[in-house]
Amino acid sequence: MSSKKRNVYIVGIGIISPLGYGIDATEQALRKNESAIAPLHVFAIQQPPPLPVGQVLNLPDLTFPRTHRLAITAARQAMEGCTHPPDAVIIGSTTGGILTTEELLASQDQDAHNYRYHGLTTVAEEVAREVQCSGQALTVSTACSSGTVALSMALKMLQSGKAEWILAGGVDSLCHLTYFGFHSLQLVDPQGSRPFDKNRQGMSVAEGAAMLLLSTTKPQKPLGQILGCGLSCDAYHPASPHPEGKGASRAMQKALDNTALKAEAIDYINLHGTGTIENDRAESKAVRSIFPQPPPLSSIKGATGHGLAASGAIEAAIAAICLQKGLVPANTGCRQPDPECRLTPILQPVDLPISTVLSNSFGFGGNNACLVIAQPDLFSSPEPVVQSTSLTLLGKACITGAGHTQQSMERFSQGETMAGAVDLETISAQLPVRKVRRLKRFSRIALALADAARKDSGLDHSPHCVFMGSGWGSLSETYDFLDKLQQSQEQFPSPIDFVGSVHNSAAGQIAIMHEATGANITSSGGDYSFEQALLAADTFLDRDDRSNSAFVLAADEAHIQFSSLLDPSIEPATPLTDGGGCLSLCRQAMPGKLSLQLTFFRKKTTTVMDELITASGGKETLQRSCRMILAGIPAAEAKEGQAQLDSFLEKSGLTIPVIHYREFTGEFASASAVAAVMAVHLMESSEIPSREKILVLGFGKNVTCMEFGRQQN
Amino acid sequence: MDNLTEELKKRLIEILNLTDVTPEEFDENAQLVGGELGIDSIDVLEIVVMVEKDYGVIINNKEIAEKVFSTLSSLADYIRKNSPK
Repeated sequence: MSSKKRNVYIVGIGIISPLGYGIDATEQALRKNESAIAPLHVFAIQQPPPLPVGQVLNLPDLTFPRTHRLAITAARQAMEGCTHPPDAVIIGSTTGGILTTEELLASQDQDAHNYRYHGLTTVAEEVAREVQCSGQALTVSTACSSGTVALSMALKMLQSGKAEWILAGGVDSLCHLTYFGFHSLQLVDPQGSRPFDKNRQGMSVAEGAAMLLLSTTKPQKPLGQILGCGLSCDAYHPASPHPEGKGASRAMQKALDNTALKAEAIDYINLHGTGTIENDRAESKAVRSIFPQPPPLSSIKGATGHGLAASGAIEAAIAAICLQKGLVPANTGCRQPDPECRLTPILQPVDLPISTVLSNSFGFGGNNACLVIAQPDLFSSPEPVVQSTSLTLLGKACITGAGHTQQSMERFSQGETMAGAVDLETISAQLPVRKVRRLKRFSRIALALADAARKDSGLDHSPHCVFMGSGWGSLSETYDFLDKLQQSQEQFPSPIDFVGSVHNSAAGQIAIMHEATGANITSSGGDYSFEQALLAADTFLDRDDRSNSAFVLAADEAHIQFSSLLDPSIEPATPLTDGGGCLSLCRQAMPGKLSLQLTFFRKKTTTVMDELITASGGKETLQRSCRMILAGIPAAEAKEGQAQLDSFLEKSGLTIPVIHYREFTGEFASASAVAAVMAVHLMESSEIPSREKILVLGFGKNVTCMEFGRQQN
Repeated sequence: MDNLTEELKKRLIEILNLTDVTPEEFDENAQLVGGELGIDSIDVLEIVVMVEKDYGVIINNKEIAEKVFSTLSSLADYIRKNSPK
C-alpha cells in the first residue's frame, strides 16, 4: 500500500431534501431562508393532527421502498456526466425498507418475497446496481451520523488507495418508526424545528438523500475537496448527548487534527443543530471548547428538518454548495438565539467567500462524526499512515445455540452442530442485571460477546473502538415498537423500544460498558455483515493511533415473526438460530500472535474467482500456505455458492479440507463471525504450522475472504 | 399502603424490567429518577406512556414532570388527583 498523498475531490453531487432536487434548487431555497417543514402527508396516521416534518415531494415512482427511491434518485444526479462506474458504493442509512415493511406487517402479509428490500444492505446493493458498480456495496448505520460516517469511510479508503472512485452518502425515508419514535421521546417541536432558538422544543423528523461522487483523480471542475474526518463515541447514554458535549468536541478536534488545520482556519461551521434542547446545548459547549471565537455558524435543520442518516450527507453537499457559491446559509427558524448556548448563529443568509467548512453530525448511541470540506487544492490531504496489512488478534468470543465460546467450540470439535437459539439467561449470565434490563436479545448477545472477548484478551484495558456488523439489527425492539403502535391505534408506542430499535444501539451499549470512546461503526451487509465490520476496522484502525484496538464483532437475533420473513436463507420451518462472534484486534504487529486480514470482498461477477486468487497471492502461494478452508454458503444461495466454491478449488488447485461452517452454526446472517472464531480456535488448538493459514470464504451474492495466520518474527 | 401505590410498583417493575427488585423492596418515598434503581429519562418517558394508557393521565410538561416523578408516591398522588375515573 502506497503512502502517496491523495487529495479527495468531490466530483458529483446528488441532493434531494425537502428543499428540492439538485444543487440549484437547494441553493435557491437556502437563499430564501424559508422552512420546508410542513404537516406529515407522506403516509396516513390514525391520530390527527399530523406533526410537522420535512418531506420530499414528487419522488420518482420506482418499484422500490421509499428509502431506495430517494437513494437511487440522488445517485443518478451525482453520477450525471460520469461515464465510468465507481469502485465502491457506501451508504449510511437507518431505515432501509422499513416503511414498506410497516405496511406489510399492518396488512399481515406473510409472503417473504414482499419483504425482500427490508434490509439496509439492499439500499447500497440497488444503488450499486443502478450505477453499475461491481465493487463493494457497503452500508453503515450509526443513527443520525450515518451519512457523515459513510463519507468518512469513503475518504479513508480513497486516501489509502483502496479505491479511486467512490459514491458515498446517506439516505432515510420518513416512516412510522422514526415519526412516532421521536415523538414518544418528546423530542419533536410541535411548531417545527427552530435550532438554537430560546423557545425551541425539539426537532422535525425528515427524509432525504445525498450522494457524493468522490475521487482521487482530479476532475476538470472539482466541487470541493474533503480534507479530513473525525469520529468519536460519547460512551455516555443511548439517546442523550454528553451534557458537556465531550464526545462532540473530540470528534471536531479529531477532524481538525486529521487535516492539520487549526481551528482558526475554519470559515464556517455547519452545526448538527437538531433543535432539541439537549443537543443544541451540548453542541454549543463543544463548539466553544474548540473555537473560543467561533466562525460564522448555522444549522440548516430548521429549513430541512432532520433527515437522520441522510442529514450528514445532505449537509456535506450543502457545504460544497456554500464553498462554490460563497454562501453562508441561515439558521432558519431561530428568532431569538438561546442565551444559554452562547452561540450566535447566522440568522439571515450571507454572501461570504469561504474556503473551509466543518460539518457536524451526532447521533443516538453517542455516535459523533465531523468532516472538514474545503475549496479544491487550497490544502493537501495528509500523508496516509502506512499500515501493516493484517490485524493482530487479542481475544475472541462467540455465542451459538450451544452457548458461549467454550460450549460452542466443544460441539464444533466433536463434529456436532451448534445451531439453535440459546436462552436469554445464558446469554446474559455475565452481564450486570441493572445495566441490561432495557436491552433485548440482540443487544445482549452483542454485550455478552464484547465482555467475553475482552476477558479472553487478558488485557486490563478495553478496546477503544467498536466495529460491529449485523444483518438485521434489533428485531425484537423493532417488532415490539411497531406492534404496540398498531395495537394502540398509534397512541402508545414504547420509547424504550424505539431507542433499542436503532441499528447501532448495541454498539453504543458496548461503548458505554467498556468506555470505548473511539470510532464506533455499525455496518450491515446481510450475510457479509461481519466482513463489512472487519473492513471498517481495517479502514479506521491506524497504526500510529494510540487508541488502536477494537472490538470487531457481528451478531444477529432469531425472531419468531421476522426471521423467516426477512432472511431468505430461513424458511418458516428452519429451526431458529442466532448468535455471533467477536474478536478484539489491534493494528500493532505482535510476533507469534494470530493475525487476521480481510483480503477480498467483491460482488459476484464472472471474473470474481480469478480476482480472488490474485488477491490471495496467486495459485502457488495459496497451495503453499493454505491448510484449511471454512466456507460459508447461505442456504438461499446454495447452488450458486457451491458452484463458486467448486470453481475456486478448481482454479486454485487446492485439495485441502473444506468445512461448510453453516452446517455447524446454522443459518443466520452473522454466521461468518462465528466462523472467524472457529478459525481462531483451529489455529490455536490444532497443529497448523506457523506459516500456514486458514481461509474463511464467503460465497453467494458477494465473494469474501478472511485469512487467519500467525505473525512472523 | 394504598392499592394504587402497590399497583404502580408492580407496573414499574414490569415495564422497566427491574427483575432484581420486588414490590416489597421498592421504596415509594425514595428518589425515583437518578436514584438507586437507575431510572433515567428514557424510563420516565416509558412511564409517561404507561400512565396515559392505563390511567388516562397525561404528563407532557417538563416542570410538572419533575415534581410528579420525584418519588413513586408523588406519581401515585398525581394520578389520583388527575385520573378521569
